[in-house]
Amino acid sequence: MKVYVGMSGGVDSSLTAALLVERGYDVTGVYMKNWTQDLPGMKCPWADDLADAKRVAVQLGIDFKVFDFEQEYRDKVVQYMIDEYKNGRTPNPDIMCNQEVKFKLFLDAAIEDGADMIATGHYARVENGALKQAVDTNKDQTYFLYRVTGEALKKTLFPLGEFTKPEVRTMAEERGLYTAGKKDSQGICFVGKIGIREFLSQYVKTVPGDIIDKKTGKKLGRHDGAIFYTLGQRHGLDVGGGLPYYVVGKDMDKNEVYVTTDLNDDSLWKQQVTLAGVHWINHAPADGSYHIRVRHRAPLAECQLTLGDDVQFTLRHPERAVTAGQSVVIYDGEVCLGGGIVV
Amino acid sequence: MQPFQRDHFFNPSSPYAPALAVRRAYQEAKDVIARAIGAKADELVMTAGATESINLAFGSIDGHVVTSAIEHHAVLRAAEQHGNSTIVPVGKKGVVSVEAIAAAITPATTLVSVALANNELGTVQPLSKLAEIIRKERQRRRDNNDLTPIYLHSDASQGVGQLDVNVARLGVDLLTLNAGKIYGPKQVGLLWAHSGVRLRAQVFGGGQERGLRSGTENVAGVVGFSVALERAVNGRKAEAERLRKLRDNLQEQLTSAYSNVIISGDQKRRLPGHLHVSFPGLDAERLIFLLEMENVLLATGSACAANKGTRSHVLTAIGMSDEGADGSLRISLGHLSDEVTVRQGGEAIIRAVAKERERMGR
Repeated sequence: MKVYVGMSGGVDSSLTAALLVERGYDVTGVYMKNWTQDLPGMKCPWADDLADAKRVAVQLGIDFKVFDFEQEYRDKVVQYMIDEYKNGRTPNPDIMCNQEVKFKLFLDAAIEDGADMIATGHYARVENGALKQAVDTNKDQTYFLYRVTGEALKKTLFPLGEFTKPEVRTMAEERGLYTAGKKDSQGICFVGKIGIREFLSQYVKTVPGDIIDKKTGKKLGRHDGAIFYTLGQRHGLDVGGGLPYYVVGKDMDKNEVYVTTDLNDDSLWKQQVTLAGVHWINHAPADGSYHIRVRHRAPLAECQLTLGDDVQFTLRHPERAVTAGQSVVIYDGEVCLGGGIVV
Repeated sequence: MQPFQRDHFFNPSSPYAPALAVRRAYQEAKDVIARAIGAKADELVMTAGATESINLAFGSIDGHVVTSAIEHHAVLRAAEQHGNSTIVPVGKKGVVSVEAIAAAITPATTLVSVALANNELGTVQPLSKLAEIIRKERQRRRDNNDLTPIYLHSDASQGVGQLDVNVARLGVDLLTLNAGKIYGPKQVGLLWAHSGVRLRAQVFGGGQERGLRSGTENVAGVVGFSVALERAVNGRKAEAERLRKLRDNLQEQLTSAYSNVIISGDQKRRLPGHLHVSFPGLDAERLIFLLEMENVLLATGSACAANKGTRSHVLTAIGMSDEGADGSLRISLGHLSDEVTVRQGGEAIIRAVAKERERMGR
């Protein structure tokens, strides 16, 4: 069985490759070259990451290749992200990267190149084509994987889904893997250490605007571009004094950001959620009782699902900061069924 | 160096007495450096390394520049920045053709820049013949009452310690040197220019280094450089002989183990401690990663180019195939190399090559 492992140069994908070699697979390591551009204040670490991935491949005695997806990544992930922000939404590039790059382009290119299956270092499990949460529920990455197809998952291995992150570190050390001590990458995969704000300002021209108290209509201060603000956001408002303010709305046309100190403000809490762009990993579930997750690592929330012309949930308890453009992922017990984007 | 980082930390330009001692030490270090290359201390501009020296040399020049296709990126990029330049191709042996350089010189040429030894192939370039060409051109201009100057610049960073770097014997007008390549500190270098060359400052400020390179003097670095350079120059002949034997043995060891091995660089004109070897079809970076696990540290092309994942411009320039270039190792021997370590290194390379061939053959 020939398996192509996506190796990023991090400890997770390094151990993934090592485990598959030990289990007798014919393993080839692949570095996906998605982003190489330096940005002001941040040197893109791709060359070091590539070298680390290759070092581990050499250590394991496996073949190693580089698949260049730079153009596609720019078109399908980065552009999508910028467009979403421009429209006042808060997208998740990792979800898009999995959908478009790792479990589509990479899978297809690997199969084309002679692989039977692919593997990645995601914390998730696949059983009979169903996506299940990782054993380490704290690390579980199924939230990022809900837009992957069942067909792709049938050709995918996630060896790390059975282990906790501390176990993974220990196993990497025991094997003396070159990357065993490497720090986990921070933030959005390609933006890395710089914030999304710095990244966006390279691509979107922003204009300062007013921060307005939703209740009183009073101008409280200025912001440097409405796209930088997310519903429910508390920090970084620079509106001084007293109780903390929360973002409760934006008007992209007027370039206004609305805030409140009232944590019970209706717009901060949602009980009814409507989803668009719904994707089911295998097939649509029946109406009934499920759990949803509104962001990575958010606790699972109980809800009632109603499938009509669109997909609607009624949450048992209202959830805070369920934002337009954000992904909601649906679970039936441990199984991740799919999800959609909040309207 | 250490006393100048700890006790004698005073700014050499300060007026109080302890600073004077630092100033003297700095001046003495420059004297030592100047003596080692047969120059005067006042002809030196201390810099933060060869790259800066090269940029200072190129930045001082108006008019046309001639250089070769196998120069270090510092020279090629500086030439590009300069704009008006001709990059002369080289032959398969990696030695610059004197005739080709001569042909590229125009009446507007003011600078010819060729490294003493190529950093990747180790090939030693015909500097004294180039100097002869330039002398003739200078004479021609003088005869025509043409005042356009023409200078020969050489980056000798790669040759110092193994080759003669006396400026008069090299016949150069400008010389770049670097401390890092001779076991000195990094970020320390120099540009020597004879008194007839008018340099143009690229870094402005307090007027240190005769106004040509402002910024507080790197006292510890320059002291370190002086010690390193003095040792390198004094020990050069014996060290070159020792390294040549080690290198020849290693070459013999590798070529007799494998038939499909390419040794590049003119065999009669190489740095004694340098060996450029290619295993076509293999991935040199994999070999390096295998070898580093055994503490055998080698490079592919020049370290900087390899990191960018691009093929070496030097190997492309000498017409090496992509297959050969991708399988190329640059082996430099030095003070730490002895008969035992070099033989063991050779054995490790042979093992790594065997391992890679086995993996690929399956």
